[in-house]
Amino acid sequence: MFDYNEEALRNLEIEDTSILDRLVDYRSAREAHLKKDHSQRDKRMSLSEAVSEYVQDGDIWADSGFSYVKSALQGWWEVIRQGKKDLQAIGSPNTNQTYGVIYGTTKYCHMSYTGAEMRGYDKMFSRNLKEGKVKIISDWSHGLMAQGFKAAQLGMPGCFSKQGLGSDILRHNPYLKTMQNPMSKKNDPVVFVPALYPDIAIIHVNAADMYGNCRFYGPAVNDVAVAAAARKVIITAEEIVSNRDIRYHAKGAQIPFNNIDAVVELPFGAAPGYMPGCYYWMRYFWERFFIEAQVTEEGCKAFFDEWIFGSKDVHGLLAKVGGTKWIEKSRRRARAAEGDNEIDGVNYRYKIWEKGMDTADID
Amino acid sequence: MNPLEMIAYVLSKQIEDHEVIYIGTGLPMVAASLAKKTHAPHITFVYESGGQDPEPCEMPWSVGGPMTWRKSPMIMEMAHSFGQAAQGMVDKGFLGFAQLDMYGNANTHMIGGTYTNPKVRLTGSGGNNDVASLVDKLIYVGLQDPSKFVPNVDFITSPGYLTGGNAREEAGILGGGPVAIITSAGVYDFEPESKRVRIKSLHPGVSADLAQLASGFELLRPEGEIPVTEVPGPEILEILRREVDPNGIFIGM
Repeated sequence: MFDYNEEALRNLEIEDTSILDRLVDYRSAREAHLKKDHSQRDKRMSLSEAVSEYVQDGDIWADSGFSYVKSALQGWWEVIRQGKKDLQAIGSPNTNQTYGVIYGTTKYCHMSYTGAEMRGYDKMFSRNLKEGKVKIISDWSHGLMAQGFKAAQLGMPGCFSKQGLGSDILRHNPYLKTMQNPMSKKNDPVVFVPALYPDIAIIHVNAADMYGNCRFYGPAVNDVAVAAAARKVIITAEEIVSNRDIRYHAKGAQIPFNNIDAVVELPFGAAPGYMPGCYYWMRYFWERFFIEAQVTEEGCKAFFDEWIFGSKDVHGLLAKVGGTKWIEKSRRRARAAEGDNEIDGVNYRYKIWEKGMDTADID
Repeated sequence: MNPLEMIAYVLSKQIEDHEVIYIGTGLPMVAASLAKKTHAPHITFVYESGGQDPEPCEMPWSVGGPMTWRKSPMIMEMAHSFGQAAQGMVDKGFLGFAQLDMYGNANTHMIGGTYTNPKVRLTGSGGNNDVASLVDKLIYVGLQDPSKFVPNVDFITSPGYLTGGNAREEAGILGGGPVAIITSAGVYDFEPESKRVRIKSLHPGVSADLAQLASGFELLRPEGEIPVTEVPGPEILEILRREVDPNGIFIGM
């Protein structure tokens, strides 16, 4: 259907290119958007209803936020719990795709960054990639992918970039092509970046009204562009507010209602990640994962069985890390980090997980 | 003083006052914070997740975390954040590396094997390629040994001078390219014609032969005697340990 970068197809060992088409098929994305009910209507439903109705096997699923900041992790966990299969994961970063691999939720990956910054690379992802449990079908830098989402939001079939030139990323991405800048008489290579259209995005925000108008704090990263691009969008929100509250708030709406298919009231929907204005990372969860669980495949499986399947919803997760005590401490820690509470007495010390520690030791 | 403290100090000296700099987590953040508390109080920090010029606070552990956008005058979207580097609004960028070759091309993708079956899959680009492609001056930082300074990188994530000479310019890359590499052994720059890595100064106790032993490619040497890198005075170390990274998150060994 599309004329892909041949060298990249060879390097990635992709024979059936039909798996690549939907991501850049702007006509089908427009059709999907046209077919939506555009009315201002009540879109509230439960998380399980929203995931069941809007996430299909094989969908291109977009990660949101930034790894463990403002990412719709509880939405993603519900996708895994419902046993959805063979998704293509995309996102800048796409850190959270990796634990979907062990359950067969993530099969393909549009790769920009998977890892934990100062905690290093993702051993679980590296292992699963080598074993063929997940396959990279396009390789990106954060900026190139961000431009692809932005082009979609701007309604353009693509854009030209000065990123990626000279790198091996261009030899491992079927969607990217180096071209001569058509406006220039001199040698001026540019990279054509097609607009990117995921099938489904789950985005977590601070507040949404029942129609899907959204407001959030902290970095948008790619969320505004992805909401406009994706064929289907589920919003999970710390709270539902009235339409009047959105209208009279200085920020207005940052994501408009007509992007949105479902609105889920879901306090702690970004947990165990960080939510701006609300709560801090569940440090115990991440530290134990990085230090202990990801070392072996059995360790990963046992860890995520315990955390994702061992709690049927976010209430179970909160109970595991200390309930209201965690909420109180975590909220103070986040608010102080953001300069909205006093910082004295708040402990940010980076404690490494050791065997035998429980949630009170690293909370 | 440990090697990480030395690296943090030397890196901080690469920053001039009033510059806008693109930084990631780890040593670049420590160095930038030290620079701001010492010789460069008016620098502006920019992060790929969108944070800009946060109020100083604890050391951030993630470029998306609250310490990168604490009371920022504005927080940009990711596409706009890199866009300002393309538009010439950012002076310098700092990057780490898993492998680096003699032309300053860096790899953070994979080690060994093939792309589809690597020995180790690393993080991928993240914003590294974008920063390396767009900022006016790029500075690399990391520990140095022959597994990191290699004849050929297994994957070019971030372009340096590619095959040397004018190759970077011919490839159409906007940013000026790497100007320095700060390692545990010394400070390197690039020979202007060949664009090959050249010793600029070596840390105290490091000879040119020792630096060469810690490299998988030939290090060019400057004419004349090789200068010794300036070490931080006690008052700088005090600021580094007491104020910049009191918990030793990045400079503890």
